Amino acid sequence: MSAEPLSTLSTTPAPPPPPSIARGLPWDLYRRQVAAILGLEVRKGFFGKRALGVYFLALMPVTILALRAIVSRAFGSHSDPVEVARTFAISFQTFFLRLVIFFGCVEVFGNLIRREMLERTLHYYFLSPVRREVLAAAKYLTGLLVSFTLFGGATIASFFFAYLPCGLGAFFHDFGQLLAYVGVAFLACLGYGAVFLTFGFFFKSPAIPAVIVFGWEAINFLLPPFLKKISMIHYLESLCPVSVPLGPFAIPADAPSPWVAIPGIFLLTAVLLAISARKIRQLEISYEED
Amino acid sequence: MSASVALAGISPASPPPATLPATAGRITFAGVSKFYGEVLGINRVHLSIPPGITSLVGPNGSGKTTLMNLMVGLLKPTEGDIRVLGIPTHRPEELFRLVGYSTQYDAFPRCLSGWQFVYSYLRVHGRSHAEAEALAAKAIERVGLMEAAPRKVAGYSKGMRQRIKLAQAMAHEPTVLILDEPLNGLDPMARAEVIGLFRDLAAAGLYVLVSSHILHEVDRISDQVILLNGGYVVAEGKIQGVREEMEQHPMQIAVRCDRPSLLAARAFEEDHVVEVKIAPDRRGLLVSTRDADGFYLLLNRVVLETGLVVEAVAPADADVQSVYQYLIGSNGGKA
Repeated sequence: MSAEPLSTLSTTPAPPPPPSIARGLPWDLYRRQVAAILGLEVRKGFFGKRALGVYFLALMPVTILALRAIVSRAFGSHSDPVEVARTFAISFQTFFLRLVIFFGCVEVFGNLIRREMLERTLHYYFLSPVRREVLAAAKYLTGLLVSFTLFGGATIASFFFAYLPCGLGAFFHDFGQLLAYVGVAFLACLGYGAVFLTFGFFFKSPAIPAVIVFGWEAINFLLPPFLKKISMIHYLESLCPVSVPLGPFAIPADAPSPWVAIPGIFLLTAVLLAISARKIRQLEISYEED
Repeated sequence: MSASVALAGISPASPPPATLPATAGRITFAGVSKFYGEVLGINRVHLSIPPGITSLVGPNGSGKTTLMNLMVGLLKPTEGDIRVLGIPTHRPEELFRLVGYSTQYDAFPRCLSGWQFVYSYLRVHGRSHAEAEALAAKAIERVGLMEAAPRKVAGYSKGMRQRIKLAQAMAHEPTVLILDEPLNGLDPMARAEVIGLFRDLAAAGLYVLVSSHILHEVDRISDQVILLNGGYVVAEGKIQGVREEMEQHPMQIAVRCDRPSLLAARAFEEDHVVEVKIAPDRRGLLVSTRDADGFYLLLNRVVLETGLVVEAVAPADADVQSVYQYLIGSNGGKA
């Protein structure tokens, strides 16, 4: 312990709340608070060893496709752009969406609240003059920023390496597809993020509900049409630019139009965030019970 | 024990009014109970706490931390109403402009230095970069950690962690400072400094609420105490006043004088005097009486009539430790 003496203090009364609180919602204060929480959350959660799992997930498809590109170059083989588009579509829909982004969102969003409860640090936020709803929104935005940066970036890098053996001409020819995939990755982070943030309020470990949702999403192609509608992957796949064969056992169903799928994901996200806001408002800090 | 000793320094809590008036200048609990399922946290608490240093005293599990957590909205009461200077505890955006709370949890956000810890939460308050820097520097300097501030909190000693928590709790210059076991882990020198800091804060008009097991230090610093046991407030107010209200326990008064036997003989003539013990050095005596004021009158009479030379008179059991012992029945974890 430092031996420096405690200085004498001259205390002043705490400043009154900003006048805008009395007049209405202080949006400028909220913006500053969200920015501060976002910065703190990114520093705490995504610049340490604990983030390695998420980085690993994001880099996995990029590494595989980069190695494939290197091998193709080494052997001088030239790929057919149509075949590359189909292969990328399969890998994006079966591997990227269902595994990488899904489990990435479990890790990122499922722990935003729960991990702080386990580490007994959530009370520092709760003891700040921040509306709990603003805190939930800031945490969600942190998750969205981090997950989309990682998985959106990984989508771009994977697409680039997938097309590398075909040359840059093919890459730019199918650039519209890349934008669509990045859009789908964003919607996946948005929707799955809201799902797992909400689960963080209801379950002590996000793993169990995540496995259940994963199973539901995995057997989506076997479900009757009315059940397909209550899964995220049904809407995300419908937005992918290249459709992929689902196998002989798949039960066919009409793909929802983008006019249904996109607002549907936004609506689901809004509903789940409203539930999260309500839960965080009611949340008590009683770490002993956790 | 469920009956609360009548108030002696704080406003009356028994019988409780239906709604507490003038809540704006006090911290008030009106009929507050908290149950964890079927387990009692605190029960039917009525309090009205003025500025100054108020100590929460009680054995483990008596409800001290529950009371503090309720005061800041970390817990919600099962029933009753709590207001801090008129603000209900479910409005954090207003409450924590006035309140700072250093919890007993020895946990910190990962990867942050002491400086970043204090500064970052000031930014979360909505303070600008310049304001947050100035306030963080002031608070860290107050607790004497400027030198260690750039180091990671994870590398701090227990005492340093206590101090940086204290700095974080008071960095935004709150009017109400709530501190759960703030002296834990501090060496004697640091304790003295922190107690001095509490005194300065109280002198500046702040509400400082402290929970502690260290009764002799509580005695030194408190303007008033709240004694808790089994989830009930068993006594509250200025300790001297609380002690005077405990009529079932005679007051003990120590007198240093030149002729203790003479005083003892006169004391025994009074009905309210229960016991008198002459000190082994025969230079004083210890009187147990049910009427302290009556004894002081007697003492004055004896001095006037006999020329008794009195060196010192002092209550011998009007401290937190004695009150704790009488009401709760143990030594209160002397430290």
